[in-house]
Amino acid sequence: MGTPFWEEFADLALARVRAAGAEYGDIRIQHSITEHIRGEDRRIASNRNLEDSGFGVRVLYHGAWGFAASSILSLEEVPRIADLAVEIAKGSASIATEKVRLAEEPVHHDRIVTPVRIDPSAVPLERKTGLLLEAMEALHERPGIVRSSAEVWWRRDRKRFESTEGSVLDFDLLAVNGAIGATALSDGRFATRCFNTPHLRKGYELIEEADLLREAPRVADEAMEKVKAPAVDAGLYDLVLDPEHLSLTMHESCGHPSELDRALGYEANYAGTSFLTPDKHGTFQFGSPHVTLVADNTEPETLAATGYDDDGVACQRWDIVRDGIFVGYCTNREVAPKIGEKRSRGSNRADGWGSVPIVRIANIGLEPGTQTLDQLIADVKRGIYIEGHGSYSIDQRRCNFQFGGDAFWLIENGRRTHMLRDVIYHGITPEFWNSCDGVADRSFRRRYGFITCGKGQPGQSGWMTHAASPARFQRVQVIRGEGGS
Amino acid sequence: MTVATAKSWPKMTSREEFRFLADLILARSSGDETTVMLHDLHSGATRFANNHVIQNVDTRRGALAVTVAFGKRHGTASATDFTAGSVLETLARAERIARVSPEDPEYVSPPDPQPFAVWGTARPETVAAGPARRLEYVNEAVGLCRMENLMAAGVVSSSVSSVGVASGNGLFGYETRADARFSITVHAGDATGWNAAAHRSIDHLRIQERTLTAIDRAKRSRDPRELPAGHYPVLLEPAAVAGLWTWLVRALDAKSYEKGTSPFAGRLGKRIVNKRLALNNSPDHPDLLGVGFTTEGLPSGPSTWIDRGVLKQLAYDRFGAKAHGIKVIPMLDAPVLSLDGAASGTVQDLVKQADHAILVSNFWYIRSVNPIDLTLTGMTRDGTFLVERGEIVSAVKNFRFHESPLRAFQDINAATAPMEAVTSETGKMLVPAMALPKFHFSSVTQF
Repeated sequence: MGTPFWEEFADLALARVRAAGAEYGDIRIQHSITEHIRGEDRRIASNRNLEDSGFGVRVLYHGAWGFAASSILSLEEVPRIADLAVEIAKGSASIATEKVRLAEEPVHHDRIVTPVRIDPSAVPLERKTGLLLEAMEALHERPGIVRSSAEVWWRRDRKRFESTEGSVLDFDLLAVNGAIGATALSDGRFATRCFNTPHLRKGYELIEEADLLREAPRVADEAMEKVKAPAVDAGLYDLVLDPEHLSLTMHESCGHPSELDRALGYEANYAGTSFLTPDKHGTFQFGSPHVTLVADNTEPETLAATGYDDDGVACQRWDIVRDGIFVGYCTNREVAPKIGEKRSRGSNRADGWGSVPIVRIANIGLEPGTQTLDQLIADVKRGIYIEGHGSYSIDQRRCNFQFGGDAFWLIENGRRTHMLRDVIYHGITPEFWNSCDGVADRSFRRRYGFITCGKGQPGQSGWMTHAASPARFQRVQVIRGEGGS
Repeated sequence: MTVATAKSWPKMTSREEFRFLADLILARSSGDETTVMLHDLHSGATRFANNHVIQNVDTRRGALAVTVAFGKRHGTASATDFTAGSVLETLARAERIARVSPEDPEYVSPPDPQPFAVWGTARPETVAAGPARRLEYVNEAVGLCRMENLMAAGVVSSSVSSVGVASGNGLFGYETRADARFSITVHAGDATGWNAAAHRSIDHLRIQERTLTAIDRAKRSRDPRELPAGHYPVLLEPAAVAGLWTWLVRALDAKSYEKGTSPFAGRLGKRIVNKRLALNNSPDHPDLLGVGFTTEGLPSGPSTWIDRGVLKQLAYDRFGAKAHGIKVIPMLDAPVLSLDGAASGTVQDLVKQADHAILVSNFWYIRSVNPIDLTLTGMTRDGTFLVERGEIVSAVKNFRFHESPLRAFQDINAATAPMEAVTSETGKMLVPAMALPKFHFSSVTQF
């Protein structure tokens, strides 16, 4: 696996790091290919194939970090970058008053490959562009659709990780996604409805199974219904949230607060901190007893199930919230010891060879309950069923949030009736999760992935998957998304 | 202190090297039209939190992209490996994509060759800055906080990039760009204060002044009072104004306008904000991060978008501009918002004039709520205060807002001259601090 000389380059870099007296060092050499075909308004607007290769060397010297990276993989550049990483770490050490101590991790030798049935790079480009054009035509068949979009995306990462501790890990990972969207115009008002396959670690079979052509008429019809729907009346509603919608709610209001680096202040200047401070660990009533949120970086096909993270720590499954109580953080080897944990949870990830790994949200999912979706809706007198992602915003400690959605249906007396528009709900995170009074069973469980989770300075994009069955929340404040008065 | 020496610096792709690579590709391309784009970046950042360095990074990433067109069929490939073999393989990939791509009715040939203005985008002091300079600035900022027994988190970064564009029709542009950035969040217990800067010159980051302002905001943010949600008069500092106007600028897309899916639909040539407001692009301004040309090879230049509150210009892509027979003007890269007749005072002067208002240092996590009327939501962050009778009387718990800049900037009580503004969610702008009579805060958070 990899390309010729990766092993030799890694050995060369780590030999220099060791010789410089560093207590720890690692190197990631990576070659990534991304294909992104994007359709817009019945045309293929962009058809791109991007290759990105390079390496990064991370050094811990006298308890302080240095990192250097380059896209030039050569006999001259590898030692230069290794030496520069050491030099930078020495600079960091010169003003450090506290030393980094890494949690122990066994040495690993492994090779991780995404199981793929259909290699997306082997699928003829004409087939992919043809599918997107056909999907957009199908969207425009419905009168009133004025704009359309369709896309297919995949990325393959081949990577080698080696550390001075002796771990050697080779990766060949793939992720795929497809999406369509339609915008309807009526009486000077417009509305967009979308359909996304989840981002998953699968082959092109994900696109074929999703069947964009089958979904297109429904998406167009719902865009039309949405643009003509009555605006919501502000007030308290019971909400029934679908798995795709919940993936974002979980991500923002549970995922980010459970990142230990945030809780310790590392992200205070950008992404923010967390209301889930270490003093709440193990005791805080995050949600109702219906709420159990599990981090699982071992579930096949999910984005964070990469075998090992960028600390070389094996992927794991652990509880974040158990029966409503906050019990676990996402950690790396640096921050885990700060709360007395002996081993990292394996959530340290960089978004490429040129970035330093930081703590990332794991594949956090809501554990299924016992009801069916119909049963969840049947108990609602006045409520709203919400699908998909819309507007979202949350404060820097992850307390006050506000979410929209992609589609909304009014629930009256236990029945889903007609669509609504301009639905926005807001609340305070623990109050919201404590209002959860039911989760549908495992047969309704769906997974949705994120590849644009922004964090870090310089900014990086994190990847993870969130799974859920539909869940119900009582008496949530809903407002009309028009602002102003 | 250990200093990373000059021998550690990588040599950036020069104008001559880019011309060589471009000529190599253009000579071998079988496409009807071929464009080569260079982005060679050397960047570094020293990040700190809890008064310690937590990240110290240096990255060199060169990227070369090739777009090939056969008639109206086009494709793009890119690579980070600049060896001749890789460059030609990248060309071959772009050719393969273009050959099998469907015809794009909106494909437009590369721009004609033209001279590009030189705006002084690469200040030598920034180009020469490295880890040692960044560490020195971090030490200065953290030292000031330690003296006050406060904790700080932030980042000092600098970068230099070689950017180029070349086409088979003779179009050629090359530019070296450099910028430096600093931002800091100071913790005074549970209270926080923030400040940020970005400039072509690392000498202009004004670390001490910015840090002292963040310290002052953090100290004033202690013991916040909870006020109910509702409509309030506000004093928006430049960063807060920039956050709202960034979304207004993004909405200036002409294609959405033509399709009827723009908040400005039918309002070109009409007043959309206060009649004293003007929005211009000024890439030659020394305090902005203007560039000589865009990625596709269009010249950047001064332009007027809003004049006396009237929407004058939309951002057309080249196809849209051609279809409408108008000159294409790229989206703003160096925005300047100004209020005619505004005093050249400070934020403090606005505070002194205010009888009752909420002073907002910055907004965070701004997102669109309703694209039809450009209603946005977001939170106040790291410095929100109650002003009574010309004085800051207390901090207040952070608000969520629900407001459209198209409504909020209809009435303006007072404003300063344009000042530098940059946030983690906006590019660099020059905007005034403003006093607005009415702004909608829809809820309150717990701190």
